[in-house]
Amino acid sequence: MPWVRRLLLVGLVLWTGAAAAQDRFSVNGDVDLRWVQASGETSFLNGGLGILRFDSDHEGFELGRAFLAPSWRATDIMSVNAVIDAYGDGDRNAVDLSEFYLDVRPFPTGPIRWRARVGAFFMPVSLENRGIGWTNVYSITPSAANTWIGEEFRTIGTELEARWLGASSGYFGEVAVIAAAYGWNDPAGVLLTSRGFGLTDRPSELFGGLGRPPLDFYHEIDRKVGYYGGLSWTHHDWLELRALRYDNHGDPGAATEAGGSAWRTRFTSLGASVEPIEHWTFIAQYLDGDTTVGADSLGPQQFYLRFHTDFVLGSVDWAHERLTVRYDDFDTHEVRGSYAPPVDQTGHGWTFAWSHRFGEHWQSVVEWLRVASVFPPREELGESPAQVESQFQLAVRYRFKLAW
Amino acid sequence: MVVDHDGRGVAEVVVAITPTAAMPATAHPAVVKPAVMDQRNREFAPRVLVVGVGTGVEFPNNDSVSHQVYSFSAAKRFQLPLYKGQPHPPVTFDRPGLVVLGCNIHDSMVGYIYVTDALYFGTTSADGAFSLKDLPTGEYRVVVWGPYIADAPASLVRTIHVDNQPATVRFQLSLALRARPEPRPRRRDWDY
Repeated sequence: MPWVRRLLLVGLVLWTGAAAAQDRFSVNGDVDLRWVQASGETSFLNGGLGILRFDSDHEGFELGRAFLAPSWRATDIMSVNAVIDAYGDGDRNAVDLSEFYLDVRPFPTGPIRWRARVGAFFMPVSLENRGIGWTNVYSITPSAANTWIGEEFRTIGTELEARWLGASSGYFGEVAVIAAAYGWNDPAGVLLTSRGFGLTDRPSELFGGLGRPPLDFYHEIDRKVGYYGGLSWTHHDWLELRALRYDNHGDPGAATEAGGSAWRTRFTSLGASVEPIEHWTFIAQYLDGDTTVGADSLGPQQFYLRFHTDFVLGSVDWAHERLTVRYDDFDTHEVRGSYAPPVDQTGHGWTFAWSHRFGEHWQSVVEWLRVASVFPPREELGESPAQVESQFQLAVRYRFKLAW
Repeated sequence: MVVDHDGRGVAEVVVAITPTAAMPATAHPAVVKPAVMDQRNREFAPRVLVVGVGTGVEFPNNDSVSHQVYSFSAAKRFQLPLYKGQPHPPVTFDRPGLVVLGCNIHDSMVGYIYVTDALYFGTTSADGAFSLKDLPTGEYRVVVWGPYIADAPASLVRTIHVDNQPATVRFQLSLALRARPEPRPRRRDWDY
């Protein structure tokens, strides 16, 4: 989508120039360096069918991520936000954008507060990835569900939110209804089919790709508008529930001359975050859906995949420490299609993370995760379908915020 | 004194005291200077402020981040565009009633300004106590209000007679508070 790229570049230039004289410009930044030890199959990011970010050929010192997140509050109710990333892993662009959007929040004139986002941004589905640019606040690696959301999905369109502010009625909570219309997400589903679920903290970039050869996710192929709708409920400050129904409304028969296909991908995500007592957080999320590619006329040859994943997470924090443990479960099932062997995946994984914050800017995170999965297509690489992969990471992060 | 159903003091409860009969002019308290509703650590401080009708309230922002304070309550609708420090003049609250404050950037920020035409008022301390000295002799109507109190407003009114002896009014709530009186510490998730 070259015109989108041109538009974004023009926007960035205008934004930078206009912001120079403002007192409303801020930049959050993060440099995340890692020491990694990994065992198991070659990562899908490096051409294999391993489902972790790193593998035995990519150990030692690595760049976890470096990002800048500039934000310009153009008016009192409108801000322009971007996340500019570098991962140092040979993606198509050494520096790329993962988000770029306009955020409009009129002052409430009643108990309903409206908000709109226009541009390219992550959908509001994860209860883990609460930080800027889809960063996870509980561990380095997000769950299988939110790994996948970060990899294959970006809302390139408009999202509207109506939030009932309960405080004005004496209720300590909020209820929000969210709806979005978007395009350029027709390939969503291709990575899930070719690899299954993964556990990585490597979301895709708007103009980059993932894997070898790289898979792209942000193309408009069928000229049909996708949508999602969601509900969230925050009760007091200890319970948050989220539900979201996503449907990219793709035409599975549409394809480009270059061979790109539109996938019809739909899923439902249900999530809950509970903090029953101070310092303890429990999160659970369930995601279930399907994806289809190929014209309806193919009949039983039309590819149809069902998938499901869920996780539970417990986390406790004290002083400058946070300990987190998470269990992931995931599977995909090729209901129809001609893949042989079938792209059926089953797996589960454990993640343990300990983060320590020292000072205002520095944080270290130690994470160990172990995941066991079965994926028959590994036979084509001469490997056993069943693999147990593990990964140890020590992250040292420096974060800063500048404001003018 | 305001205590919950277990007898523990309830803080941040507004106490408004009005004589039931007209008072001599000399009994009226002096006009107070502008009150202050501060913003620190992404919270309003105090969370509950009580002011007399016609009082100006300053809204200094002593946070490291900008805020946009607003209210759409019937007693006072106003907006303070994005700011740090104290660029805006005091806001005058000229009608009695409850004003719920919010920040258009940080939804978790909630504050309350209780605007009263009572002669005497204040908020309870951590032990649930509020006291006044040298109250003129007479009969008074005492009303309490708090954002976490679930009891019916009609049960939160007392009439007392004040003479030369100390007088005490005790409000014991029959229903549990609607939410924790103390806010949780902000998440230590480094979510900046």
